[in-house]
Amino acid sequence: MKTMRILVTDDDPIIRKLFAKRLRQEGYQVTLAPDGSEAARLLDAMPFDILITDLVMPGGIDGIALLKRAKEISLDIEVIVITAHSSIDTAVDAMKKGAVDYLEKPIHFDELFLRLDKIREIKSLQKSADDLREAIQVTENSAAQTIQELEMINSNLLIKIDEMEEILTDFSQNAEARIERALKILEPR
Amino acid sequence: MLKISPDETRLITRYIHEISGIFLDESKKYLLETRLNAIAEAEGCRSYQDFYTKAKADASRTIERKIIDAISTNETLFFRDTNPFQLLQHKILPELIDARTPKVPSMKTPLKVWSAASSTGQELYSVAIVLKELLGDLSRYNVKLLGTDISDTAIAQASSGKYNKFEIERGLARDKLQKYFSLTGQSWKINDQIRSMVNFRKLNLMLPFTGLGKFDIVLCRNVAIYFSQEDRKKLFNKIADILEPDGYLLIGSTESLTGICPRFIPKRHLRSIFYQLK
Ligand SMILES: C[S@@+](CC[C@H](N)C(=O)[O-])C[C@H]1O[C@@H](n2cnc3c(N)ncnc32)[C@H](O)[C@@H]1O
Repeated sequence: MKTMRILVTDDDPIIRKLFAKRLRQEGYQVTLAPDGSEAARLLDAMPFDILITDLVMPGGIDGIALLKRAKEISLDIEVIVITAHSSIDTAVDAMKKGAVDYLEKPIHFDELFLRLDKIREIKSLQKSADDLREAIQVTENSAAQTIQELEMINSNLLIKIDEMEEILTDFSQNAEARIERALKILEPR
Repeated sequence: MLKISPDETRLITRYIHEISGIFLDESKKYLLETRLNAIAEAEGCRSYQDFYTKAKADASRTIERKIIDAISTNETLFFRDTNPFQLLQHKILPELIDARTPKVPSMKTPLKVWSAASSTGQELYSVAIVLKELLGDLSRYNVKLLGTDISDTAIAQASSGKYNKFEIERGLARDKLQKYFSLTGQSWKINDQIRSMVNFRKLNLMLPFTGLGKFDIVLCRNVAIYFSQEDRKKLFNKIADILEPDGYLLIGSTESLTGICPRFIPKRHLRSIFYQLK
């Protein structure tokens, strides 16, 4: 799987730089945003696999609002929130609103890398499952079409047989007339 | 892992057929082992013979329920196959509503739909969403949507109306997701208005359909494929009995009723087939 694209949003420039350095060293593609509105703009403009965001940020869009925004744009974006130890409650709230995980400050990068590996693994498993489903779907669609066509043909034939039987056993007419009428049924309509 | 002998395979497959109608031939030995092992070991059984005896003797039927949950395939998704739901929206529902609207304006239009193997509920909720979009205000209608399944776990999830990210992304368009679901924690929950339109309960399709009444639409999709030819015949015959004379039957897109139930004739509309009584 290609490297994951990560958007990091934090109002602290030092933390932003640190994230960029460490994540890039690990081979991730990193984009930085200093606040919620810039992050929201970036989310709209380009695709990301992961959003890492501070919960408390100045300006109109805080971490929770950004999380909601990201999920509106794509359910595939996984969101990890960063929180101070004192505000675990907000982190739990973020998980309730769809974040996959939270990180406590100060950031332990080794821990973050482990979690990112897990997310990558899950995403790639899901991709395989989606691919398989897609393949099944294609097969199923063509099978369905064939079966439905046969079903219609079969049903029309059964109707014709019923009609023929009715005509051939209608003894109010002579044999010749019955046969002639019965043969008419076999003509394509 | 417990090994299953050929004799035990016959014993267990016969038992599964008896409790669920699900027909497994001897080639499904592997499936039995992988799916039943955990239950058998949790019950402390040392062989499948042992397991069988224990399951039969269990008056609470807990083991039986677990076996059904393990063996049945609950695979389903919202708006599965798409076409049948367009058929419902553009043909079946408008026609039925026309036919059922009472002459007296103060009376409500009745409509009964049954999802006969509803699994985790996606099929019935899809019907509910189509109905809601089509009718808007439902106060002039008496809509009864029933979903049944043999699996307790499936029924429980269907009733909760909660779906995880993987389930919700399958088959559901974004606008419908936003409109009819809300995110709580890691799962999405169907909104109360749609939830209140449906009912789920347990029912084994192999047993008589008592007390169900008659239905305008029956969806019996992707379940008969697990049954023997004989059981399929019985099933669709019973469905013919509980369908209104002008009612509609929808089956799975790869299923066929040829040679199964001559009481139904297939009709085609909008690239998909539905069945009506002769
Ligand atoms: C593959 S799902 C089909 C779900 C849905 N109708 C669809 O087409 O997507 C099959 C369901 O049939 C149920 N089932 C199997 N045997 C049954 C029986 N004897 N009576 C009722 N339901 C049964 C299973 O529990 C499972 O949920």
